[in-house]
Amino acid sequence: MATDARARHGLTGYAAEPVTKAPPWHGLVACDLLFNNLTTGLFLIQALGELAAPDAFRPLSTTAYSSALALLVADLLCLVLDLGDALRFHHMLRVFKPTSPMSLGTWCLTIYSVPLAAAVALSLAGEWPRLEWIRKAILIVGLVPALGTALYKGVLLSATAQPGWRDARWLGGYLANSALMLGCAELLALSILLGQEKATTVLRPALVLLLMLNALFFLCLLAELSMPLRYTFTPPELWYFMLVTVGAGMVAPLGLLLLPESSIAMLAAVLLLVLGSLAIRFAIVRIPRGLR
Amino acid sequence: MAVREKELVEVQSDGDRLADGAGGLLDRVIGPFRRGLPPAAQPSTGFYTDTTVCIGCKACEVACKQWNQLPADGFAWTGKSYDNTAELSATSWRHVKFIEQFTPNRDTRVPLDLVAGGSPENRWLMMSDVCKHCVMAPCQQACPTGAILHNEFENVYIQPDICNGCSYCIAACPFGVITRAHFDGHAHKCTLCYDRQKDGLVPACAKACPTGSIQFGPLDELRRRARERMEELHHRGVPTAYLYGESDGSTYSALNSFYLLVDRPSVYGLPDEPFNPWLNMAGDYARSLVGALTAMAILVAVFLILGR
Repeated sequence: MATDARARHGLTGYAAEPVTKAPPWHGLVACDLLFNNLTTGLFLIQALGELAAPDAFRPLSTTAYSSALALLVADLLCLVLDLGDALRFHHMLRVFKPTSPMSLGTWCLTIYSVPLAAAVALSLAGEWPRLEWIRKAILIVGLVPALGTALYKGVLLSATAQPGWRDARWLGGYLANSALMLGCAELLALSILLGQEKATTVLRPALVLLLMLNALFFLCLLAELSMPLRYTFTPPELWYFMLVTVGAGMVAPLGLLLLPESSIAMLAAVLLLVLGSLAIRFAIVRIPRGLR
Repeated sequence: MAVREKELVEVQSDGDRLADGAGGLLDRVIGPFRRGLPPAAQPSTGFYTDTTVCIGCKACEVACKQWNQLPADGFAWTGKSYDNTAELSATSWRHVKFIEQFTPNRDTRVPLDLVAGGSPENRWLMMSDVCKHCVMAPCQQACPTGAILHNEFENVYIQPDICNGCSYCIAACPFGVITRAHFDGHAHKCTLCYDRQKDGLVPACAKACPTGSIQFGPLDELRRRARERMEELHHRGVPTAYLYGESDGSTYSALNSFYLLVDRPSVYGLPDEPFNPWLNMAGDYARSLVGALTAMAILVAVFLILGR
């Protein structure tokens, strides 16, 4: 489609072809983007919640950290399976290279797994009042690599030569903000399923605010990606994309969250948010190939 | 030759032996972390490609494939050009581009004298494309395994035993040079015949080039030759001749494989203004931090107000 557009603008030969090559990244990378946000977001929200309002959030800790660990494993699986040579995944740890968001991200993921695993272990060990300071220290220390893991993903894509991604200055901002929003949504679902009403009361308004904030970041991103998206998708596909991401993934969840308190409505909102986020990530990953 | 190949298949290499059993597993895990002593720095080398004398014979492509034992790509008509290699790939490290600038009216036959005359509207341009071996190479900056490095000749080299096929170098390269191979899952591109250089030989493509379009040597010498050739062309009535990638630009470093061109870079399939994507990185991280911290600030405020 993009090549046709270039030809319509009078360009021929190599000038009508894209210079860059799209990396062979497909669905696994879209899932990786989502799992990255889900695991880091869940850990960050639970840790912040425990530190700021322990009474409301402490009962959720075992389930929340265990879920975050399971999501981290799913994320790592996506990352490993997407490699051309999966048995060489550990080569990522040969060097620490801050100039490479992928290297920085791999190290953040690796370090993040340690406090997360420790948080799971301490949660499963039960109440140990004398060791409470260790627990708090682990959570505070864990915030840094968890935040780093959430931050690198968008930069990994935007700091490339790929058309579309290279112009998306707010991609990192959107994805990092999404991590927190999705984490809040996950924890809200867990609090409903575990019957933790106090946490639900806190998380519901928080999610409404985060959803509105995330919509702002999405608009910034959309403004930058409007042209690449138009070249990547046909007009009907673009309408479906907007319907799924904005309609089903933002407006509908917001409406459901604003309804009088209903567990089913809130769970449905969370589900729609996750599905809408996945759709956005699939579209983002598709852009460089669509522009060829 | 056939007998020799048969013998080689039967000989088990050290690598194969190590891959067996626990020893092989240990070597696979620890091996990549072992470091040898880096070789002593040598004078920087590169390519200077004078596209005005390229005749499109593709001898460089053949020599490259032969020396590096690259498999054939199959044969398919592109339908857009007499060039059917189409692009650089994991198995084509040299690609001679044919730029056919003729009157678009298909019914008009182009007289041969017009072709030979090199009219700007009716002419062939040829260019042997290859990895640019950038001085500040985005692929090298991106590579998370350290597989891509600048070797002792300041050429960008992918260590085949280290690359794990993450493909980030492909995303980072603004020239579309690197590709991941389907047969081993690793990234491949021109090595600037590292093995030949270590033995004091000229890269296979430059050796095979019959017109001197591809020139190899120390970079200072190549730059001097390129400037002289450009001035000569200006004197001979080709004012459009210029050097691409010979020196640093505002958004991209110099290229260790640079070109003499006579039309816009995009006509040759090169970016008009190459941009190092890493120039945006600090700002992108800052915006990511803004995205995360604003959300965290809201959360903490809500938790403190409603959660206590």
